[in-house]
Amino acid sequence: MTQPSLNPPKAGAHAPKVVLLPDALFFTRAISMAPAATPAEAATQAELGLEALSPFSPAQLYHGFFWVPGAERALVFAAYRRRFTREQVEAWSGAELVLPAFAALLGGDASPATTLLVTSADGLTAIHWDKGAVPAAVLFRPLPPEVTDEERTRVRDELLRAAGGSREVIELGAPPEAEAALGSEDEFVFRAESRVSRLPAVLAATMDVRDKAELAALRRARARDVMLWRGFLGCAAAIGLIVLGWAAMYGAGFWQKVRETKVAAQQPVVDQIMTQQSLATHINELSSKRLLPLEMISLVSGTIRPVSIQFLRATTDGLYTLKVDAQTTSPAEVSTFRSALSDLPACEKVEVRDQRTRDNLMTFTLVITFHPEALKPATAS
Amino acid sequence: MKSFKAFFLHRLVREKLLLVAITALVAIMLLSSFSKRAAAFWRTQRATTVALAEQQQWLQDRAAIEAHAQQAVKNLDPARTLDDTRLVGELNALARSQGMRFTNDTPQTERSGQFAVHTVQFNLQKTDWESLKRFYLELTKRSPYIGIEQFSLQSDRASPMQLNASIRVSSVEIVR
Repeated sequence: MTQPSLNPPKAGAHAPKVVLLPDALFFTRAISMAPAATPAEAATQAELGLEALSPFSPAQLYHGFFWVPGAERALVFAAYRRRFTREQVEAWSGAELVLPAFAALLGGDASPATTLLVTSADGLTAIHWDKGAVPAAVLFRPLPPEVTDEERTRVRDELLRAAGGSREVIELGAPPEAEAALGSEDEFVFRAESRVSRLPAVLAATMDVRDKAELAALRRARARDVMLWRGFLGCAAAIGLIVLGWAAMYGAGFWQKVRETKVAAQQPVVDQIMTQQSLATHINELSSKRLLPLEMISLVSGTIRPVSIQFLRATTDGLYTLKVDAQTTSPAEVSTFRSALSDLPACEKVEVRDQRTRDNLMTFTLVITFHPEALKPATAS
Repeated sequence: MKSFKAFFLHRLVREKLLLVAITALVAIMLLSSFSKRAAAFWRTQRATTVALAEQQQWLQDRAAIEAHAQQAVKNLDPARTLDDTRLVGELNALARSQGMRFTNDTPQTERSGQFAVHTVQFNLQKTDWESLKRFYLELTKRSPYIGIEQFSLQSDRASPMQLNASIRVSSVEIVR
């Protein structure tokens, strides 16, 4: 018996790590299935079928099955665990898929009444399809290394007879090997000479013969690893985007520099225009809008000012506002004075602010805004 | 990428976690630094955009402003306009003619092309209302070549019947 073949990744090929076990160690049976079964129901039916067929309990077997949705049968295959040494089993760790070599070829196209004959180091395997995608039988006959052509022909004929009527016989001189699945990570691809078999990852998972509890743990670990990989990829992509952003900002820095240079170059001209505007406004105001402070003071301090109110300071605020700081010993007259000012046609608004009283002396500020057209320049009299 | 993925997936769990953590940390640090710089850059470029737009507006209005300035001085006789020295001299002469005590600050000049506006702070001390009024009326006769920009009047503390006046006066000069 040969050792299981392990397909390590070829340099640059990225072939998945798949362990193909010798066909000689497995017994196979086709069992009936409900075509409308779900994948979970199919797995249960396959295990029940195996229990009924095998003298050993499923726990003592390395087993798997091949079933495609809608098929009326499934091909179950199993090997007694003790036929594998501990070293052989340990070699499976890290493998993405462990299955018998013949199972690797079940993903190829097969016409009805076709038999596939595969020569391996141990012997000859016949896979026979009568109808549908699931084979009706898988048979194996051992061949010694020094077998003669006559003996090989005799075994071949015997296998074809045992398989049943075959309209087409495909002979492969070498066992299958895993190769990289181009464009998809969700399938396993095997090649034996010119025959290519594609097994979707979901289907291949049901064909993996390893301990089911170990497989479940393996799948969980794989899911975690994929999550970590995606997280790593996301962070790496973010770093890439940020680096691109830095590059873009570096480029934009030159653009900004050019704009800043333009602003600096234009600023003296703009300052000149602004000064010109300001001066023009100023000259216009000198000609047309005169500040008339004494006229404003005369209006406020004329006959309407109560004798008790004394002006301390008068300051203009803009062209038409006068602020007067005043004091009085008679606070009641402030209100009267304010009313009298408000009644003047020249006054637009009168406010009294900051009223403070100390030692019977009240200080306050009057803010009087005049109507622009009401102020007339005084003339010498 | 596939070979790198295979390399990653074949590491020990702690190595994978470490790789993810280091990458995440680097990404966060870079992002933090980048966001600060990007925000600063955004503010700078916004300020420059606004400055450029304002400058553009001023440059567009240049002809109109120049025309407005020409219009403003059209009715002024250049010979009667006053430079800073003449302004101070005129104010001094006016105050002296009324027998007033005064001080003045150094004139400030704002100049643009052919025009200049000179401003001086002129203080009259311990004067009476009538003298102040006469001074004021004489000053207003020089309008629009001389104008009052701000006026402040207060009674003297030591002698409440006397007044202290502070006047900011400006004059226009047309340079030919």
